[in-house]
Parts: sequence; structure tokens; C-alpha cells
Amino acid sequence: MAKAKTTKTAEPLIQTDKLTKVYRSGEIEVNALRQVSLAIQPGEFTAVVGPSGSGKTSFLNLISGLDAPTSGRVLLKGQDLNRMSGSALSDFRRDHIGFIFQSYNLIPVLSARENIEYIMLLQGVPPAERARRVAGILQEVGLQGFENRRPAQLSGGQQQRVAVARAMVSQPDIILADEPTANLDSKTGETLIDMMQDLNRKQGMTFIFSTHDPHIMAHASRLITLKDGRIEKDDVRRRPARR
Amino acid sequence: MLLLLKLAWRNLFRNTRRTVLSGLAIGLGLATLIFFDAMMLGMMDNMVLTATATFPGQAQIHHLHFRKTLEVEDTVADADRILAELGKEPEVRAFAPRVLSFAMLSSAADVGSILLYGVEPEPERRVSRLAEVVAAGDYVDAGAENRILIGRKLAENLGVDLGDRLVLTVAQAGTGELSQEMFRVGGIFEFKVREMDRGMAFIPLAKAQQLLQLGGRVHEIAVAFKDLKTASDPNLPFWQKYSRDGNEALSWTALFPELKSLMDMSMFSLLIMAVVLFGIVSFGIMNTLFMSLYERMFEFGVLRAVGTRPSGVAFMILLESASLALVSIAIGIILGWGLTVFYQAVGIDYRGLEFTGVTIKDMIYPVARSYQYLVYPTWLFVFTVLVGIYPAVYAARLQPAKAMKRSL
Repeated sequence: MAKAKTTKTAEPLIQTDKLTKVYRSGEIEVNALRQVSLAIQPGEFTAVVGPSGSGKTSFLNLISGLDAPTSGRVLLKGQDLNRMSGSALSDFRRDHIGFIFQSYNLIPVLSARENIEYIMLLQGVPPAERARRVAGILQEVGLQGFENRRPAQLSGGQQQRVAVARAMVSQPDIILADEPTANLDSKTGETLIDMMQDLNRKQGMTFIFSTHDPHIMAHASRLITLKDGRIEKDDVRRRPARR
Repeated sequence: MLLLLKLAWRNLFRNTRRTVLSGLAIGLGLATLIFFDAMMLGMMDNMVLTATATFPGQAQIHHLHFRKTLEVEDTVADADRILAELGKEPEVRAFAPRVLSFAMLSSAADVGSILLYGVEPEPERRVSRLAEVVAAGDYVDAGAENRILIGRKLAENLGVDLGDRLVLTVAQAGTGELSQEMFRVGGIFEFKVREMDRGMAFIPLAKAQQLLQLGGRVHEIAVAFKDLKTASDPNLPFWQKYSRDGNEALSWTALFPELKSLMDMSMFSLLIMAVVLFGIVSFGIMNTLFMSLYERMFEFGVLRAVGTRPSGVAFMILLESASLALVSIAIGIILGWGLTVFYQAVGIDYRGLEFTGVTIKDMIYPVARSYQYLVYPTWLFVFTVLVGIYPAVYAARLQPAKAMKRSL
């Protein structure tokens, strides 16, 4: 097991302890993650890199509670995700984690505004507050005038901006992004990264990316390299922004 | 709730063609049920009307023991008073007093045992179809005392025709003495019901009373109501009112229990048909929901990932299921109503068909009832939502990462 370097603060936002994930397909076992232990501090802008099959996606799935580990545990804000029920985990994700997916994954039957509003509706945010936040975030991601369009009526870059807005509008503690620039042209991708880094700096929001994008790697405050399910390298480059 | 409802409704129409086809399939099932129920009601009404109007009437009043024994002595108590009261009953359309007895009819060629009826021509005309089914000769004529109206089959058996002589033998009331009298065949009827055409004969009421030494007494009063539903009502005060002083008043449901059983059986058949139909429809709905679910598996993963609870996902599927049911119900009601109205106008021709001894004589017209448009759609709605539970639970149990496949 590779030893993880961690920044020294009182309480990490995420802490994994001997996190292991084994996928079984009939007789075949695939070790996606092997006893990964690390801590992520609030305000980090972390990129998880590595070749395909190195365990990046499994790692993100496990630290967000989207999947259950074979062994080991994940503490998010001090809470053990393994011990939570399905509903409690849903509520926890709703309130603390924002997701940005490679394929945007907006709800096709909802407009850009409704997609952005969705999590706030689940949270029970009052209509006036929702409207205020949606207007603000639309301006921030540069999508004013597109709010009533459905995803199919938006370009890839615009859809990803909506996805970023959806992830951020509920003001989560952490945003997990799975290769967010993979389906975007380089210029749109760079704009998006700049926007997210700006949010990281201004609001201290923690970002964790899985990526192959050198531009993201260049901007990351911490670079975790996975190989065969183990941490090969954990490089902290500069102090993360504080929330 | 509103958000999930919006999502469910919009998801339902994401694949409009599939939703419309599913709605049509389910709606057709409902329409079939509505129409079939209306047709069965029409057919049953038709059969009951046919069975009662052919001769027996929708209700009869007798001496309490008469139906069991057909004893000549057992006449209706205080028949004159009853006949007078019947004339004042608002729901009664017509009534006819009758005398009936076992009798023997002999021709030169053969002998036959029959049920002899003494009837009053005009009241009988309003209660039964006897006058309508006279195939040859004349209907019963009060003025032609020694004319007898016999069935076609009986005429064939006895080898007689119009104008031929017959000897009628009956046992008189009181003494039991045999009384014989000669009649000529005045008319031949044809109900097209074998038992009636072979075993019944009609003479004027007064003549029958004279032959049987009954004086003015009668054995039976046949009653026709203005509405058949009145005659079918077991709680009608009429039955109690006329079931006293040693008499009994019986509805057609008691007079023809086999017809009542047939109606009950038909309704039970309809219930089975409904269950089978809804069963088929339910699997159709489940298939539609699962197809839709598999297509959107990734989305369910996303919904769960961003914080929708498992119960929320399940509820959304149930709302989709309920929305599909509402669309299907709208289609089904329109189609079912349209079919019923169309056939109410043109009728269904089953004339001549004999069913459990009753020959259908008129066109069948479907009968619409409000329950067809309330009960069956409610069943469909409940079935559809129940069927939605399985895919709903399936979707709720999905592991978000697995649902998204590519996951994060």
C-alpha cells in the first residue's frame, strides 16, 4: 500500500482507511482499489490521475457513497458512510457533495433552470431563495438567457456549465468531478477549469477530479496518482484555499 | 411531490409513440370491459324480457301451494280484490288472470297430456306475446267458447289442423270428477320453445272456469311492470303486499331461478374476464415501465447521486405508472363510451339464437351504467399502480454507481 501524504489540519474533510474494492465477475476478481488510506482537507483542488483501470472512478464512487467498499471505511466530515442507510446517504450527498459527470448527466426532461433547482427543491429551499441562487449561478457560469432550454437544446459546453451550476448551487462542501472536460473542446474545457478554480479560490469549495487533462493537472493543488488500485504518488503542490 | 409529478409526467411523454401505444393497449382493454359489460346487461335485459314477456309475465300471484302441486283447488284467495288493487298500482303496467290445469287432449289419431290455460284475451294480450305468436287461425276469442288454441308441435303430434275436433278432459275442482268437452282447433301458435309448443293449450277463461267448476276463481295472476328493474327489486313492497291471505307474489327471479343464476354466472364470467384482461394489461404496463426504466438507468443513478432518496425514485416510478393509468383510462372511457353509444343506436343482432331455453327475439342494445365508468377505471388505476410497485422497488434499490455504469 502506498503511503499517502496529507496536509496537517485539525479534521480532514475526507478520510479513507484501508479502502478496498474488489469487483467480482463470475470467477474473476478485479482489485479496483487496494487498501487506500488518505485524507483530503477542506479547500483542496485535487486531481486524481492514473491510467485507465487504475481505480480513479472507483475511488470517487467510494468516497461519495455511490458504491460500497469491499473493506475499509470512508469518513466524510467525520461520518462513516458505510454505516448510513440508503436514505441517510442520499440526504448526506444532497447536502454535502456536488457531482459533475463526464457526460453532463442532466435530467433531459427538465430545463437548465429546473436542473439547477433540482437539489435545492430536494433540500426544501424556499422559492425566493432558489430563484436568487439560480439567477446568481447562471450569471456566474455565463448562461443567462439559456435557463429555459432543455439539455438537448444546449451545446456540450453549455450543458457542462449547467452541470457545474447544479453541483455548486446547493453550496456543497465538496465537488467530485469525473473527467469533466473529457467531452469538451480544449477552449471550453479550459474556461470551465478556470471557472471552477475561481470558485475554489473565492468560496473555498473543495474539488476532487479524476482526469487525464493536463490543464487540470497543471491547476491542481494536489495530484494523487493511482496505479493498479494503489496510490503511487501523492504530490501536494501548494496550500489549498480555506473555506 | 410537485417536482416528482412534473418529472413523472414529462418522462411519460418522452417516448410519445410508446406511451400512446401502451395507453391504447390498456385503454382498449378497459373499453372492451366497459362495452362487454354494457352488452351483457343488454343481453340479460333482453333475455329476461323475452322470457317473461313470452308468456309467464314479470311476476305472478298464486295460492301459496299452487306452484308445487298445481291442485285445481288451490286458487288465488280474494282474486277480485287483488285484481282491483293491481289496477291502482302505479308501477304495474298490465295484469292478466289465468286458470290452469293438467288436462288430456285427444284427437282421432292420438292423445296428449297438456297444461290447459284459461285466459282473458285482452288482458293477456298486454301481459304476454300469445296473440303475437299465433301462426295460423285465430287468437283466443271469449265469444268462441269451444275454440282451442294449441301449439304447432302439439297439433303435429295429435295429427290435427285448424277446424279439427279435439276432446278435452279435465278433473273438476272439489269432486275430482272428470269432465269432457269437445273443441275445434281455432288457432295454432308457435312460441318456438319446444316445451310450450308441445304442451300448452289455451281456451277462454270463463270456459275453463266452467269446465273445472271453479266459479269465478283463478289460479294465477300474471303481472307486467312498467320497468323490468322494478320486477327485479327484491325489496319492492309489492311482494309483501300481495303475499298474504294464503297467496304468494313472486318476481321473475324466483319464478325462473335458472335465469337469475345465468345472470349471476354471466356477471361472474365478466369478473373473470376483467381479472384476466387486467392481468394481461398489467404485464403490459410492467413491461412498458421496465423498458422505460432500463433506458433511463443512468438517469436514476444520477438522481440518486444528487440526493434523491430511494423512496423518492420509487415514488416517481409510481407516479409515472399512475399517469400512464390516467392516460389509458381517458382513452378507454372514450372508446368504451363510443362503442356503447354506437351499438345502442344500431343494436346487435342475435335474433333467433336460443340460449338456455330462451330464444332471443329482439335486437340487443348495450345498457350503459355509471358504475362501468367508475368501477372499472378505478380497478385499472389500482392495478396499474400496484403493478408499478415492482419496477419502483427495483429502481429504488439500484446502487447509484451500478446504475450509472460508467459511474463517476
